[in-house]
Amino acid sequence: MKNRPTFDRRMLLHSMGAVFALAVTSSAADAAPIAKVKALGVLRVAVYKDNRPWSWNKEGQIVGIDVDLAKALAQSLGVRLDLAELSADESVDDDLRNAVWRGGLLGFAPVDVMLHVPFDRTFAARNDQVAIIAPYYRESFQFVCGNSDIDCDAAPSQFKGRKIAAELDSIPDFYLTRTGGGAIAKDVAHYLTGSEAVMAVAEGKADAVLASRAQIEAGLHDMPGRQLTRRKMPLPAFSSGGWDIGMAVKENSRSLGDAIEAELEKMMATGQLQAIFAAHGVKHVPPALV
Amino acid sequence: MTGRIARSIARLGMGAAAMALIGAPLMAQGPTDAQLMGDAASTGDVLTYGMGPQAHRFSPLTTINSENVVKMVPAFSASLGGEKQRGQEAQPIVYDGTIYVTGSYSRLFAFDAKTGEEKWQYDARLPDGIMPCCDVVNRGAAIHGDKIIFATLDARLVALNRLTGKVIWNKQIADYQAGYSATAAPLIVNGMVITGNSGGEFGVVGAVEARNVDTGELIWHRPVIEGHMGTLNGKDNGITGKLNASWTGDQWKNGGGATWLGGTYDPETNLLFFGTGNPAPWNSHLRPGDNLYTASTLAIDPATGTIKWSYQTTPHDGWDFDGVNEFIPFDATINGKPMKLGAKADRNGYFFVLDRTNGKFISANKFVMQTTWADGFNKAGKPNVIPAGRPGAPTAEKGTTVFASPSFLGGKNWMPMAYSHDTGLFYIPSNDWGMDIWNEPIAYKKGAAYLGAGFTIKPIAEDHIGALRAMDPKTGKIVWEYKNKAPLWGGVLTTGGNLVFTGTPEGYLKAFDAKTGKELWKFQTGSGVIGSPVTWETDGEQFVAVMSGWGGAVPLWGGEVAKSFKEINQGGALWVFKLPKG
Repeated sequence: MKNRPTFDRRMLLHSMGAVFALAVTSSAADAAPIAKVKALGVLRVAVYKDNRPWSWNKEGQIVGIDVDLAKALAQSLGVRLDLAELSADESVDDDLRNAVWRGGLLGFAPVDVMLHVPFDRTFAARNDQVAIIAPYYRESFQFVCGNSDIDCDAAPSQFKGRKIAAELDSIPDFYLTRTGGGAIAKDVAHYLTGSEAVMAVAEGKADAVLASRAQIEAGLHDMPGRQLTRRKMPLPAFSSGGWDIGMAVKENSRSLGDAIEAELEKMMATGQLQAIFAAHGVKHVPPALV
Repeated sequence: MTGRIARSIARLGMGAAAMALIGAPLMAQGPTDAQLMGDAASTGDVLTYGMGPQAHRFSPLTTINSENVVKMVPAFSASLGGEKQRGQEAQPIVYDGTIYVTGSYSRLFAFDAKTGEEKWQYDARLPDGIMPCCDVVNRGAAIHGDKIIFATLDARLVALNRLTGKVIWNKQIADYQAGYSATAAPLIVNGMVITGNSGGEFGVVGAVEARNVDTGELIWHRPVIEGHMGTLNGKDNGITGKLNASWTGDQWKNGGGATWLGGTYDPETNLLFFGTGNPAPWNSHLRPGDNLYTASTLAIDPATGTIKWSYQTTPHDGWDFDGVNEFIPFDATINGKPMKLGAKADRNGYFFVLDRTNGKFISANKFVMQTTWADGFNKAGKPNVIPAGRPGAPTAEKGTTVFASPSFLGGKNWMPMAYSHDTGLFYIPSNDWGMDIWNEPIAYKKGAAYLGAGFTIKPIAEDHIGALRAMDPKTGKIVWEYKNKAPLWGGVLTTGGNLVFTGTPEGYLKAFDAKTGKELWKFQTGSGVIGSPVTWETDGEQFVAVMSGWGGAVPLWGGEVAKSFKEINQGGALWVFKLPKG
């Protein structure tokens, strides 16, 4: 309540007609978050920066699966999209603080909804300032080989002397560096993103890659004609069984969350969501919701 | 002294001619290289970060002393204004009747040194995409000729006209989009601005660089991780260290080691001393080897950027023990032999003394209550590492919790210590705290599953976290200590008046007896003091100045430690003190 008078006064000063402005702002401010989004006519959505194939800069344009999803959500709510690129901090917990419930120290305004947030009960429980909603994809890691003289299903320690690509400081990096007592630690080629690691294999600069399924499928899609072999056997003692991806809204914005979930459900039922993924070469995998 | 003469002549309106007459180079009016090198002895100004390139933070002034400091009162206070009241870690620069301070959010202010009235203010325009890891601080400016120079959060170096605040040059020194930032005060040596770099750990490689002070053009670049090529005047100048000597595979390419705190310079040996940060990635089990030259002190030739010697304070760091702390040159007699030495109080809890001519290890002594990672150092200068004190390898299960002390914020963090020419003691602003650290199976980074670590910082003593300690570098013994409830996060100043000054998060600037540690004076500034105090004299009066404004890295971390400062409000003000007249 403390901040309300300031809010209204500022809105008044910035508006053309005082009476009209008062009517709009007070109803918008009093209303539930979904009504506020509709009244203001804009949905502010955060996507990660440099997160190919989800959201990345292609020749000056922000493109990707999450970008198309954000556009579709705004359209279905009948509002304009205000897309905000978020630089990833050290953990998603930090990102939720910077993007959703507090904002950045240097003026990054909090968003209505953030995409690409892990949908996980334990994680959600410790981030109680936000509501994690609308799971839309099941992600997992996969191993693929670009070099046909490699037995892609062999034990990883057999890849000694080959160049195995991975994103720096990721679960694939941890795994490859440590597997078989560090047998292939020297052979791990590090890249700043999983997509760059996939690209290295597609371009023949590395022999195999351990990366996310979306990174691999989108990479292949973007380099048509390149055949990669997918590993069929599970990697021994590989710890990550995959995770669900959802969205986050502020804890007190559940009405907006409900509206988004309803729109997402429609998009799944009509095949619109699957088509968005397919346009980027990625097969949509529904969330496991475990 | 020449500076003061030049200044008074300049006031008579004969500036350029007078300077030519006394043989100074025909340059824009202001401090010369020689004056910067002589800053420690000149009492009428504060021209360098550290009050001299050796950063002793010692003033020979005695007007304010342990007998009369109790009477010291504020002369004035000047607010940095605006809504940006956050984390004021700067050390003021004082020259020609002006106090220059940098503020949080990459701002620079010029205040009248007599009245505190603002002369001008420069606000860097920052892109909103920056994610500074450890608050929006800045630690101070450098002055040279007609320029006042400082670094900004978006990794730029900006040179302003010191009289008008107008930009003379503005250079990008690293790419903020790649995670680089800049918060340290630049160092100026032989007409070159020498800077380190800072940034998150991801993909960053530490480096030291020299630029032409007049143009900002790069002269040399020296990466601090082995395998990387250095440059001099645009040409290759040899790789740092030996490729893959202490790194596995291609990990050296993104090895960390950010030099985020800047450096010191010793005119006697003509060496620059820069400390380097922790290696990347964070988890040590992923990068076998010593990981040179992370967590080290490097001695660098200022003319070429070549590394002359190195000493690693934390080999194969696994605790986030940055080795960035200032290396302070000093002379002392050890075992009957007069020696050229240098000292560094490290994040890892040890106070190191090295032979500064060659980097040879002399001694390392604990200056904090507890070090769980090592039990002292052997004669060869290697730590006696305690294997059980190393956080575990990443796993998908919640592993055993390891208690580590000091915490990752260090026995001493960024805040600079001081060295008294009178007592021969180093005054170290230190903290006694530890951390519980464990593998975090449910961790996510950039929306993807990740094997992270969870940690909680906690106090290890009932009555304090902060402790200002007087260390005898010859014996390694603590001569006295002052305990503070909240963590200490500000720099230290010592004077010929038998005084030691430092600030506390509780808002006080305090003065202590340099010999005994007795608290003699304190003043409440209204917000936490985490800046570095300075002193100078004008017309026979001695002044002491410090920035007030709570922030920095400490309040970003919660836990039990937060209880010690939860009532402290943010701020942003310069405070200047003196003795009352008559």
